[in-house]
Amino acid sequence: MRTEALKLSRPAARPRRSGTIARALFGRAVPVLTVVLAILALWYAAAVGMNADAQRQADADAGIADAGWRDFVAGTWAQSHPRLPAPHQIAAEIGRTVFAVAPTSKRSLVYHAGVTLEATALGFALGGLVGFALSLFVVHVPSLDRGLMPWIVASQTVPIVALAPMIVVILNQISVTGLWPKAAIAAYLSFFPVAVGMAKGLRSPEPLHLDLLRTYSASRPQVLRFLRLPASLPFLFASAKVGAAASLVGTVVAEVTKSEDGGLGARLLAGSYYGQTVQIWAALAVASVCGAALVGIVSAVEAVVLRRTGAAR
Amino acid sequence: MAFGLAAMAAALAAGGAARAADPVTLQLKWVADAQFAGYFVAKDKGFYKDAGLDVTIKPGGPDVNPEQVLAGGGADVVVDWMPSALATREKGSPVVNIAQPFKRSGLELTCRADSGVKTPADFPGHTLGVWFAGNEYPFLARMAKLKISTNGPPGVTVLKQGFNVDPLLQKQAACISTMTYNEYWQLIEAGMKPAQLVVFNYTDEGENTLEDGLYALEPKLKDPAFTDRMARFVKASMQGWDYAQAHPDEAVKIVLDNDTSGAQTEEHQKHMMDDVNKLTKGSDGALDPAAYAQTVKVLLSSGSDPVITKEPQGAWTHAVTDKAGIKAP
Amino acid sequence: MSAAGWLGCAAVWLAAWALVELIVWRAPRRGVAGRAAAVAVPLIFGATVLLLWEAIVRGLGVPAVILPPPSAVAARLAASPGMLLADFVQTMKGLAAGYVLGCGGGFLAALAIDRVPFLQRGLLPLGTLVSALPVVGVAPIMVMWFGFDWPSKAAVVAAMTVFPMLVNCNAGLGATSALDRDLMSTYAAPYGVTLRKLRLPAALPFVFNGLKICTTLALIGAIVAEFFGTPIVGMGFRINAEVGRMNIDTVWATIAVAAVSGSLLYGLVAAVERRATFWHPSFRGRRD
Repeated sequence: MRTEALKLSRPAARPRRSGTIARALFGRAVPVLTVVLAILALWYAAAVGMNADAQRQADADAGIADAGWRDFVAGTWAQSHPRLPAPHQIAAEIGRTVFAVAPTSKRSLVYHAGVTLEATALGFALGGLVGFALSLFVVHVPSLDRGLMPWIVASQTVPIVALAPMIVVILNQISVTGLWPKAAIAAYLSFFPVAVGMAKGLRSPEPLHLDLLRTYSASRPQVLRFLRLPASLPFLFASAKVGAAASLVGTVVAEVTKSEDGGLGARLLAGSYYGQTVQIWAALAVASVCGAALVGIVSAVEAVVLRRTGAAR
Repeated sequence: MAFGLAAMAAALAAGGAARAADPVTLQLKWVADAQFAGYFVAKDKGFYKDAGLDVTIKPGGPDVNPEQVLAGGGADVVVDWMPSALATREKGSPVVNIAQPFKRSGLELTCRADSGVKTPADFPGHTLGVWFAGNEYPFLARMAKLKISTNGPPGVTVLKQGFNVDPLLQKQAACISTMTYNEYWQLIEAGMKPAQLVVFNYTDEGENTLEDGLYALEPKLKDPAFTDRMARFVKASMQGWDYAQAHPDEAVKIVLDNDTSGAQTEEHQKHMMDDVNKLTKGSDGALDPAAYAQTVKVLLSSGSDPVITKEPQGAWTHAVTDKAGIKAP
Repeated sequence: MSAAGWLGCAAVWLAAWALVELIVWRAPRRGVAGRAAAVAVPLIFGATVLLLWEAIVRGLGVPAVILPPPSAVAARLAASPGMLLADFVQTMKGLAAGYVLGCGGGFLAALAIDRVPFLQRGLLPLGTLVSALPVVGVAPIMVMWFGFDWPSKAAVVAAMTVFPMLVNCNAGLGATSALDRDLMSTYAAPYGVTLRKLRLPAALPFVFNGLKICTTLALIGAIVAEFFGTPIVGMGFRINAEVGRMNIDTVWATIAVAAVSGSLLYGLVAAVERRATFWHPSFRGRRD
């Protein structure tokens, strides 16, 4: 009982001592594998259920009166336009479009992921900077806090995705082309979580601590540097993770409109347009791996920074 | 930035001593596929270059509105359907038809035979999928002519379909909009048999409206230099279409090369090319005033919520095709 | 636009700013006057932006099919409230259902993985994968699965909101200090009690941060989901269809409805947050 209560600190929050390789493996790999296997099993079962109707129809059209259950199940996992593709179909499609073609070819998902990540990185950098600057203003300038914050929130309720085509058109008029329109939409989606999270984080120091710095007659920049910024770190990383994922989504959305440069969004559009469900799922899988990689990078930075600043307890 | 400069330097080197080509930006109505084969062929085969043009082809998509791109100065010329262009013109954006490569319309309603729809009289009570974003006008005009309400039972229930044939495959709709050259083949490729489908072609019903014409802004056409550039563009584009008629397989290859998504399949594009060629066959690019009048008649007849309320004035011109030496029919 | 026109715009901007500063400095913090000031400031900001938008669009002669002036949008709002209301109701169905499912699911998942560290190590990395699914790819699939009406939109919203909620709740559950946790363990408090009395209250600021971010995500998700196959009603349908018909004023009118309703949702969550976490430093020691 007591020992259990003592174990309450989250494993992630503890600075990990360099353990053996085996411990690292069992720490992450086994649980992830277990969960993945469970999901795959569920997925295969779901694919049978989702594709059963179409399979029955196909059998009827082919004049097969009573297919054995084995053939039937195998059939549901091998349709060309399945409602839910089986994992191995998606894997095969990814294999075809990632490993079997040169990464510079337009048929390669590596190429398209590269196109998407380029605009995402630019957009996230822009959005992060804008969000951080806004949070500084909002925390330090009362009139901006009262006047601007509601509009920052309102800005996110504008369905930018709906405006993406118009934004591309308008930016085109002032000869902003190529990467920038996509990055602008990505930035628009990612500045918000950073701004809101950081504003919260910069205000998170205890009044007691603020008073202490006041007794030292610390200037505002000093308060920011020694108290507000360190205190805001956990908030910063939590919102940066959301922001990174959001900027990827923004880029992909923009690519549906601006499909001439390719990118995962253009793949999704083409896949949806031709009812190529396997292709949609493959593009989705690659997009989410890219997103996870971005979030992973943020997490890695977080681990290092928190350890260096002693924020990890 | 450096890359851009390098590309420019390379382009300049390649251009060499040749006189500077006039830039033309063409905005397509949809993604790069065989529906626009003529333009890709003209670019690829150098027809545009021979006409002293440097043409940029911009693919569209489900939420790219060609008329808006045109009004915003994002393109000099766009591919568009006439109903949508006329509706836009009535709203005060001066788009003008300068050429009409597609002679015939490819729009149809395709129904599942097992839904019980056999004739247009069977529509009421069923769910019909329609494309919006400017493509709904022919459908609305047709329903108005049949005197069928589009606000749910007892009339038809209208769904805004995405740009694929899923609703029919998943039995979410009794009928969906298809193009002869594209979605119909998607249904066949997805495993439907022609016998399982009932097709209502708009042309057979006398409800056809002009599709895939070339449109530019009226004020710009006042400049003779622009008109001359457009004339060279239309002429070279028609060369491209003629070439696609004669060499469909090569045209398909060119289209596939121009597909930046890398998602198009050769099988589908071949079907598409053959059917698009049926629509452009015998067209020299000049608009047939009779076909224009037919389109206007269909649109004006659309009942309570007409697509256009009055006879359009000056919505087309032969100035460009005349200059290109194409005889009007 | 003439130089005088631009100067006028700049003057309007500066005057508005000065007025805001004055209100912020002079207005009392509490009571009716304080509340009025809190409402007036963003309104002045907004009115200024609208005024400048109108002036710039007219001054530069921007075509109405690119960007209509606010006056045209207001006229459209006044002209077709019935249509806009029907659209709003349709979109809200999917949004509300999806928000409850997504945020509830995220919160419960955070609790579950907190209890079972094995799950935490197994699920959290995968949750990241789910979060990065682009809505434009998910929406057509959901339409295929759940039909054209609002359930498919709810599914999209749930998929979009579950992960941000999970991350925020997870961060919140780790937000107690070692000192507090040690205190609880000296009381021999079991897991449930520690959760209820210490860790959940401490997590609330994070939970609300998640809820706030999710309101805007849910709105965007619900609207974008309506781009991919819908009945012919709903805010996403309206935006998508009217762009194609070049009724850009209707598009902006719908966007205005979306923005106002989204802001109200956010405000609602923020108001609940103030009530629930009045003890948090960010509310307690505000001397701005």
